[in-house]
Amino acid sequence: MKLKVLLFAHLKEKAGTREAEVEVPAGASAGAVKARLGELYPGLRPMLDRVLMAVNQEYVSDDTLVSEGAEIALFPPVSGG
Amino acid sequence: MPSSHPSAGAEAAGPTIIRVVTALPDLEALLQSITLKTTGGACVFAGLVRGETHRDQPHETTRLEYEAYVPMAEAKLAQVAEEIRQRWPDIEGLALVHRVGVMEVGEPIVYVACTSAHRDRGLFDAAKYGIDRLKEIVPIWKKEVGPSGETWVEGDYHPQAGE
Repeated sequence: MKLKVLLFAHLKEKAGTREAEVEVPAGASAGAVKARLGELYPGLRPMLDRVLMAVNQEYVSDDTLVSEGAEIALFPPVSGG
Repeated sequence: MPSSHPSAGAEAAGPTIIRVVTALPDLEALLQSITLKTTGGACVFAGLVRGETHRDQPHETTRLEYEAYVPMAEAKLAQVAEEIRQRWPDIEGLALVHRVGVMEVGEPIVYVACTSAHRDRGLFDAAKYGIDRLKEIVPIWKKEVGPSGETWVEGDYHPQAGE
């Protein structure tokens, strides 16, 4: 399945895009999506062990399964305020 | 972009104002909008752009640039508001407003404001919880620009799944 992944802050800058497209097998986990992003955008690799992932605006863990059409976002630990 | 979510639940509950904005509202007007006839106190935390940091790693800051994942940021601000209302049911009005874009030294970045009938109803704790929790789970990031260049700041909190 094809997924769109929103990127923010330095992840967006390292990847050079605010929206990445990845293709992963149906029923892939969030961790697999993250790993695939690292292959497509090597600049993201050094940060992948600490980035946060959200699906439909909720935090998920690496073993959460992702479905087609979900709103997926990858970003650094937050630093607002 | 601005939106407000009417709150439900606690009996004391007044308005809940949740916004990610490019310009902060006037503070007095914001306080008015969370003041009920029964309100006798307000506690406001305002986060400001600090030009000189002396604690931890001392450095100078020229300006900060904030970016947000706006729909999730507003959803998580609403979650923080709900957590505050569960912990301190006597809080009446509540406002969590965060600005994005470029901010110069001394400018306000965020307002966390709560009101209650009396000051001993958890007012101070609620405001502190609001800003502490915002810094943990609300997807907003700052880029710090100083004399020696610019760096994205990363927090150190890792929310659990579903948090």
